[in-house]
Amino acid sequence: MHKIKVNKGHNINISGLSSREYSGAQNNKFVSITPLDFNYIKPKMIVKENDIVKMGDPIFFDKLNPEIKWPSIASGKISKIELGERRAIQKIIIEIDKNEESKIVPSKVDLSSREQVKDFISSKNMWPFITQRPFNKVVNPSDNPKSIIVSLVNSAPLSTDLSFTLDSQSEYVIAALSKLKKLTDGKLYVAVNKNEFSYLSSLDFVEVVEVEGPHPAGNIGVILNKIDPINANEVVWTVKGFHLPMLGKLFSKGYFDPSISINIAGPAVKPTYVKSRLGSSFAPLKNNLIIDNVRVISGDVLTGKQVSIDGFLGFYHSMFSIIEESFERPFIGWLHPGGKSKYSVFNAYFGSNKKSFNFTTLQNGSNRAFVPIDAWEKVFPMDIHINALARSIEANDIDEMEQLGIYECDEEDVALCSFVCPSKSDVGSIIRRGLDTIYFDQ
Amino acid sequence: MNILRKIFSETGKFVEKGKPLSWAYPLWEAADTIFFSTNKQTSNGPHIRDNMDIKRTMFFVVIALIPCYVFGAYNIGYLNSLALGIEKGIIANTIFGLYYVLPILIITFIAGAICEITFAIVRKHEVNEGFLVSCALIPLTMPPDVPLWQVFVGTSFGIIIGKEIFGGVGTNIFNPALTSRAFMYFAFPTKISGDKVWTVGPDGYSGATALAVPANPAEYDTASNLYANVSQFDYSNLNLFWGLIPGSIGETNKLLILLGAFFLIYCGIASWRIMVSCVIGLVFTAVLFNLLSMFTVEGILASGGTPNAMLTLTPLQHILLGSFLFGTVFMATEPVTSSHTNTGRWIYGFLIGVLTVIIRSINPAYPEGVFLAILIMNMFAPLIDYYVVQSNIKMRLSRNA
Repeated sequence: MHKIKVNKGHNINISGLSSREYSGAQNNKFVSITPLDFNYIKPKMIVKENDIVKMGDPIFFDKLNPEIKWPSIASGKISKIELGERRAIQKIIIEIDKNEESKIVPSKVDLSSREQVKDFISSKNMWPFITQRPFNKVVNPSDNPKSIIVSLVNSAPLSTDLSFTLDSQSEYVIAALSKLKKLTDGKLYVAVNKNEFSYLSSLDFVEVVEVEGPHPAGNIGVILNKIDPINANEVVWTVKGFHLPMLGKLFSKGYFDPSISINIAGPAVKPTYVKSRLGSSFAPLKNNLIIDNVRVISGDVLTGKQVSIDGFLGFYHSMFSIIEESFERPFIGWLHPGGKSKYSVFNAYFGSNKKSFNFTTLQNGSNRAFVPIDAWEKVFPMDIHINALARSIEANDIDEMEQLGIYECDEEDVALCSFVCPSKSDVGSIIRRGLDTIYFDQ
Repeated sequence: MNILRKIFSETGKFVEKGKPLSWAYPLWEAADTIFFSTNKQTSNGPHIRDNMDIKRTMFFVVIALIPCYVFGAYNIGYLNSLALGIEKGIIANTIFGLYYVLPILIITFIAGAICEITFAIVRKHEVNEGFLVSCALIPLTMPPDVPLWQVFVGTSFGIIIGKEIFGGVGTNIFNPALTSRAFMYFAFPTKISGDKVWTVGPDGYSGATALAVPANPAEYDTASNLYANVSQFDYSNLNLFWGLIPGSIGETNKLLILLGAFFLIYCGIASWRIMVSCVIGLVFTAVLFNLLSMFTVEGILASGGTPNAMLTLTPLQHILLGSFLFGTVFMATEPVTSSHTNTGRWIYGFLIGVLTVIIRSINPAYPEGVFLAILIMNMFAPLIDYYVVQSNIKMRLSRNA
């Protein structure tokens, strides 16, 4: 067992945390899957609008790697395929057929060797559930990953508490982990909070990592940086914690069950957990809003994607964050003494940030050239000179990016840097640009 | 409030893109966002942001400087009364001093604003608040009787050469306030070089500044003895700390500078590592020089030479003398031109301390060395960072091997 303690970071004290109870099940009519959730793919549709699909049927594939196909996350009818500029696929909306879905029956599967597991995942179109670091993309099945890591610590603000949502799913979590272990010669790390998921420590194929500290402590990038850093030409695979029961059911009972527990949280909504499913819509949850002018975010407030009010959950997301769209312009705001109406990790707002804060979409300042007052470093726990790395990316210096450890970073690991940055830089997009440069250079 | 809001939204229409006055947009934007915080929204990426921004960062440095201004004004009045041999109250002295401080301050801000806004308009970027700090720092490094045209020229030089030609705040190599100070030091040496006393007194009134006393003694003695013999000003350690001595406007009161330092460190704006390591470097070198002097003085005296009295300045005197603390707290910690890594900051600060003592003690021409030390280290800060980052790279390469 590993124990890691993260010192640098910050738990943003944002209001609207969901308490650990369900307010019922969500009645979904439509679900959606979007190729935009997956980096570095060129999607090509297999189905057309109005086609009837069964759960798990392939609906599109990656032209660059045709072996990877994306499963339908519902049984029903392809009701719409939204295209954007240059006919890029934006969104595939599936109308759920409840009758068809209830017909799914378990089947027996035998997965004792690595090849069997891989073939099974391919046959069920489940590779998109497994992503890799570096680059944060769907894995290449022929790779032999150095290790596999699953984080059951959601340290991001307001994010789903996995110890609650995966409660009573231990059978499937273990089933998923035992088969994932077959995919690597290395270790299978599972990160947990102290005193959670204690059943994992009895499993000999799992290397439990106990994580302590503020966000981004639960990010796999940070955990790997502490215990087993990624070097050039190495690949680590990972699975989202909330996907584990899905994979577990698939590996043990042979069928794909897209039901997940999601939470809606944030200052602009009545926070709660609901039983729902992958790619579900926010539309049925609209009556939980407590104000009108809101931004709905699929994912957490730091790394999520803005969606419309009828928008759908991203493939790797299990929560909606809702914050107020504010256009307020406080008079001489930069001279404000502080208090409850301000939130800052700096002490420059006196008496702020004690109570949970109603964040809005205000950027709270104009974009400026970067002035390094150690803001990023305050909340960035890896042994990487993030400032120097950002500069090497701006300079397009691939060698230096590699030397400075870009393979260990991903957007989510530096999201807090953008949050605290007084110059309002978007560090995540800088890191993504660096990764893109390297990826397309290969 | 609403009226003001209206004025801005009405005038804003004149500077929109495509309108004849659109070139003035940066000017309008600066005024608009000073009165009303920007309502810019986050896009994808973090959807929520901290309330800290560059406006507040820069303005807080200015706040930390305000006490230095007030005391500087009082000190001008006090020293003037002393020179004339009259007694005046605190307020009368302060008002007398403000007559000298305010024109310098106003001229500096006019010069700074002209440069910054011109460059913002030409380069089509928003006005950066960094020039506020530079302009607030420059008057504090000036003698009270400096001619205003020199202030104007010096400030313009500092802002343009020190900052704008490198691309503005964030990309400059040298601290603009120090660049302007150094420019004036070398361009107008009769007014600025600082070996004669900087006070506002009757014509012909002069004396030796605290640093000049051990630099040019009539007869060799230890610095402490030399100070004890000065009757014109009180150069005891206590008074050096209190600051009722001649000097640049803002540098004399060390208590207020330390308060400013704690304020900036508390707010997370200035790096305490740089301040502490500056002091460590200074103490280290001063002690070395004390030892050097201890072992060589008798030999030099015996052979008929004159030993260097500067070498006998104690570390505490070095800290209290001249603008060391002011430079350390407000100039060396400038985030853009100092080192950007924490290890680098320790080295950078330490070398500033070392260079300060070396320039003060060994260089025969100028008794003050802080600003030169900081400028030199500004130049080397990227080099220091380079080696700090290289060590991180080596660590990563060795892990990979």
